[in-house]
Amino acid sequence: MGFEFSVITESLPALFEGAKLTWFITIIGIVGGMICGILAGLGRIAGTEALGEEPHGIFKSISVVIRYVSGGYVETIRGTPIIVQAMFLYFAFPMLVKAVTDIERFRIEALTAAVITIVFNAGAYIAEIVRGSVISVNKGLLEAGMSLGISRFQLIVHVIGPIAFRRMIPPLGNQFIISLKDTSLFIVIGVGELTRQGQEIMASNFRALEIWLTVAVMYLIMTTVLAMSLRQIERKMKIF
Amino acid sequence: MSNIIELKNVCKSFGDTEVLHNIDLSIQEGEVVVVIGPSGSGKSTLIRCINCLEMISSGELVVDTVRIPEERGRVRQIRLEVGMVFQQFNLFPHMTAIGNVAFGPAKARKMGKTKAENIARELLDRVGLADFENKLPGQLSGGQQQRVAIARALAVSPKVLLFDEPTSALDPEMIGEVLDVMKSIAKDSGMTMVVVTHEMGFAAQVGDRLIFMDDGRIVEAGKPEEVMKNPKSERLKDFLGHVKHH
Ligand SMILES: Nc1ncnc2c1ncn2[C@@H]1O[C@H](COP(=O)(O)OP(=O)(O)O)[C@@H](O)[C@H]1O
Ligand SMILES: [Mg+2]
Repeated sequence: MGFEFSVITESLPALFEGAKLTWFITIIGIVGGMICGILAGLGRIAGTEALGEEPHGIFKSISVVIRYVSGGYVETIRGTPIIVQAMFLYFAFPMLVKAVTDIERFRIEALTAAVITIVFNAGAYIAEIVRGSVISVNKGLLEAGMSLGISRFQLIVHVIGPIAFRRMIPPLGNQFIISLKDTSLFIVIGVGELTRQGQEIMASNFRALEIWLTVAVMYLIMTTVLAMSLRQIERKMKIF
Repeated sequence: MSNIIELKNVCKSFGDTEVLHNIDLSIQEGEVVVVIGPSGSGKSTLIRCINCLEMISSGELVVDTVRIPEERGRVRQIRLEVGMVFQQFNLFPHMTAIGNVAFGPAKARKMGKTKAENIARELLDRVGLADFENKLPGQLSGGQQQRVAIARALAVSPKVLLFDEPTSALDPEMIGEVLDVMKSIAKDSGMTMVVVTHEMGFAAQVGDRLIFMDDGRIVEAGKPEEVMKNPKSERLKDFLGHVKHH
């Protein structure tokens, strides 16, 4: 059994379908993860000096609650394996629903479970990236902004945001690539992404070398596209 | 003339440490007050309390009709009327010179972009930086950055400007250009200014009042020349001796 190039060409259509699904899950994961991550990352430092100045009265209590909720989310996700999260959501969560409500036939599609898992997983790590970048912004700049009489919202959008975002890009690139590769774990809940497609073809023709090489190259192409897009954004923002 | 800033029995603590003790101070509209004192005496804390970057721990602060602590929710109103210039300039690094200056009018005063930029251009011209409007802070010298920072503070048309050692981070040859801008603001616009500085020449030339702080208290205050010529306390005599030798 030598290296058969035809095996690759024959399996390409199926692998390509898998790659498309991998890309789809990743992009939703990145976009959703950014939204979750920004909310939770800012949530973890709500009401602290990193976002302007400490609030008083009722807002102080609200910000404490927001900090605990965000912190609980981040620590729970970071503290459990993504594969366990996916299996919990796909297999265990419907049972939990059945146990506490009357809904008998509650089901989550495998793809839905995969997307939700990757969004919340990426979100937790991105939250830490956001928090780290925001607290690294020079406090003097916040004071300069506040001294002009701008609102906290304007301060976050126009001062903290752009400066922090610039610092987020390298670690975000890391996280995006990790998220893309993490989609391969959804093989355990039967999502037909790239790794699963490879596994299925392999099971029928036993051509491990050709198949896993092709799968590896396809992952590499996708991660390279991600990395290069971020480099592009970084270059555009390299003005200060 | 009426008082634009009033501190009544103001104390400020950080944790258990009280760093301002029972400060009473009234500043009139148009007055230029120079604050001197040794490092750690509370000069920065005092002026940062005026625009509520630090919240007073007790006592009362009145800035242009806004009363603190009763009206804590109106802190932004105070900040619109009280600008600040920092020792470290603190220009927004991602905005050009004109972007920095136009930011306040556009966002805090909610003006249109063109109007805000026109104001900014006028002010950059006034601080002698008309040709530098498209430069980023990183491309400007310290003296130029501080002049942009002064223009930025002026751009929201405040009634009061606070300066916290505006020339202390500058190379000696750039101190003059910044002091000149500050002098022209004091003389031409009748702006109320509170300036923490060790530039005694500036104090003598444009200061209406000189305040000497030590250990969180106002120890001496009066006409700059008089205070400098006839210091009453040993601490001030000592301090002036040190300043003169620099
Ligand atoms: N944010 C802070 N937290 C704790 N202590 C502070 C803080 N800011 C200032 N201090 C203390 O308050 C005292 C006065 O400081 P400051 O007002 O900066 O003095 P000055 O400007 O005259 O050098 C110092 O002892 C300083 O250590
Ligand atoms: Mg100081």
